[in-house]
Amino acid sequence: MNETNNNTADVIIIGGGVAGLSTAMQLAMRGQRVIVLERQRLGCGSSGRAAGLLGQLRGTAEHTRMLADGLEIVMELEKRAGVEIYVKTGSLRIAETPERAQEIQELVAMGKSIGFNIDHISIAETARRLPYMKTDDLIEACYSPTDGHLQPAELVSAYHKVGKGLGVRYEINCPVEQVIIQGGQVKGVKTPRGEFHAPVVVNAAGPWSYLVADLAKETLPTAAIGHYYLTTRPDPDHPVDRLSPAVRNRHHRLYTRPESGGLIVGIYEDEPVEYDMEKLPKDFDMSAMKAGRDNLNVALLIHLTQQRFPWINERTPMTISTGIMTFTPDGKGLCGPLPEVQGLFHCSCCSGHGIMQSPIVGKVMADLILDGKTKYDLEFMEADRFHDVPGYQERADIKRKCYEMYASYYGQVEKANVVVKH
Amino acid sequence: MKVLIPIKRVPDTDQKIQVKPDGSGIVTDGLPFVINPFDAIAVEEALRIREKSTDTVEVLAASIGPEVCEQQLRTALAMGADNATLIQCDASLDPWNVACVLRAFAGRYQPDLILMGKQGVDDDLSQTGQMLAALLDWPQATFASKIEFLGSGLRVTRETDAGLEIVRVTLPAVVTADLRLNEPRYASMTSIMKARKKTIERITTTELGVTIEPRLQLLGLEAVPSRRKSVRVGSLDELLVKLRAEEKLL
Ligand SMILES: Cc1cc2nc3c(=O)[nH]c(=O)nc-3n(C[C@H](O)[C@H](O)[C@H](O)COP(=O)(O)OP(=O)(O)OC[C@H]3O[C@@H](n4cnc5c(N)ncnc54)[C@H](O)[C@@H]3O)c2cc1C
Repeated sequence: MNETNNNTADVIIIGGGVAGLSTAMQLAMRGQRVIVLERQRLGCGSSGRAAGLLGQLRGTAEHTRMLADGLEIVMELEKRAGVEIYVKTGSLRIAETPERAQEIQELVAMGKSIGFNIDHISIAETARRLPYMKTDDLIEACYSPTDGHLQPAELVSAYHKVGKGLGVRYEINCPVEQVIIQGGQVKGVKTPRGEFHAPVVVNAAGPWSYLVADLAKETLPTAAIGHYYLTTRPDPDHPVDRLSPAVRNRHHRLYTRPESGGLIVGIYEDEPVEYDMEKLPKDFDMSAMKAGRDNLNVALLIHLTQQRFPWINERTPMTISTGIMTFTPDGKGLCGPLPEVQGLFHCSCCSGHGIMQSPIVGKVMADLILDGKTKYDLEFMEADRFHDVPGYQERADIKRKCYEMYASYYGQVEKANVVVKH
Repeated sequence: MKVLIPIKRVPDTDQKIQVKPDGSGIVTDGLPFVINPFDAIAVEEALRIREKSTDTVEVLAASIGPEVCEQQLRTALAMGADNATLIQCDASLDPWNVACVLRAFAGRYQPDLILMGKQGVDDDLSQTGQMLAALLDWPQATFASKIEFLGSGLRVTRETDAGLEIVRVTLPAVVTADLRLNEPRYASMTSIMKARKKTIERITTTELGVTIEPRLQLLGLEAVPSRRKSVRVGSLDELLVKLRAEEKLL
């Protein structure tokens, strides 16, 4: 292993989650020598905790186009790595109030206008496709056949496998402790295992990415927020088909998808848990995070789940998964450089949709690094869009804005459906 | 009927546990503590007994230890226990001490059934239930994976290394819960809110007339060196050679 003595590369990537791994693979495809430095194990951050839902219809046509192109990359990855990553279940959005119904109508119109495969679906048909869901109170629904979910663990291992084949070097248990900058240009990083040198460094440290930016005295407007979902065990009385469509139900703030004969249900609660990553132990392991039996967020999750799936309650055999997400003030990713340091790129393909965005984000990052541009209109996710914007400079302000974004992620907060406030 | 559930506060063993350099204990700074998982199973079983029973069943959770144990009692209350008592005690306790305190407490509270975890996941001693039954001179059924009410007693299926053993016990009795007895529930929002408002009774070991005299002495703790060396073998034959010659496993 003589190459381990040579700690010089074209690009160093900090963080071995889906963002860093996808970027590394794309750079290697374009002939770059890449080293990925990961503080613990590959995929042990948010990427190892995600539900992996993929809903392509987002705020803008460009975003949807990017996600659809990302799926092409996934197909290619599946072939090269020989694993199933994408499970095409289709997805539904459902509404029980006139306001939510209106949202769905607008969404369908928007989707159709950009040629995205989406249409209204009758409530009867919704009930037929999701026999385990309460539908008698619904007034509107729409269906997109090409949505589904990406299996996060398979995605991580595919990026790794293909990247390795292309010569990417992965250093695990190797936390970056300093960013070396000379004359405003990044030169490399320092780790307990010595220095690594490259003219380009990518900060893909997920929830920790604002701390890595701090090392370079840059301000990255992200915050770390806890998230929970439940997975029921298979129940012969309520079988969930492997290919049952995913559902988004904004009124109850929840999303759901099938998982191994059971159901995953997650919520965007209005009072999420904030984390200060700097206060967590150095060896903090996100995969060991657990929710107590009397956790209020879990109780809310189960309560809201029960509104839509009345057969699920506190006694239902289930596991609770919890992890930390990176959130930005507008819920969109942050990709590209900030003005202060040359050669330092940020890649926080974050919030609740970093898994689904990672295939295309890796490509976009490689384009930005090597060509200085990409074919997509990236304005909505440029890393510097909050730069110098008043109100986005102090950590406390950033945290508050990210927090509010999370809390309103599924639209206007409808308090009426929450019986007990905490 | 009254069911008493002793609750132990234990470190979350899914976290990385570190031994203090002098071997006198574990590093507790920043370590999350939880209700002993087997005790949560005992609570769940008591709740199910209450739900199924036509008689009134009172479920009382009791923990012996310092003030912080209140957190685990609140968890038991949130899951649905009716009442909770903190038996205040700052001394470190061995299973004998816990059994003595519980015997004295049972003398006051007069439960019909003491349902407890088969062991604490911190020290895995698995002694308290057995000692307590002996001290009280009550029948015991340990490692229960199923509990049924039969007439005035219980029919308990026990998990043993040899298979399942079915025993009948009369009440009052001590039963210790094994992993497969049930899957504990999560607390609902309303019961969490209710649990926050409940008063937790307090009593001291002195008031119970128990003097804590440890019979076990902790000489030292040592972490097992982690030996996680994995190698990729090229063939089944190579694997067999390694298992035989190097690991001496075959
Ligand atoms: C419970 C939960 C459910 C989710 N559900 C979905 C979903 O349904 N769909 C979806 O698309 N997304 C979902 N997400 C979001 C998704 O997981 C994230 O957006 C995505 O994984 C982010 O990837 P990342 O590579 O940016 O971050 P991470 O996966 O966190 O990777 C960052 C890596 O950087 C490493 N690191 C940090 N600091 C350093 C350092 N100084 N030196 C070296 N390495 C460092 C970390 O150890 C980590 O491995 C969910 C997230 C959670 C928590």
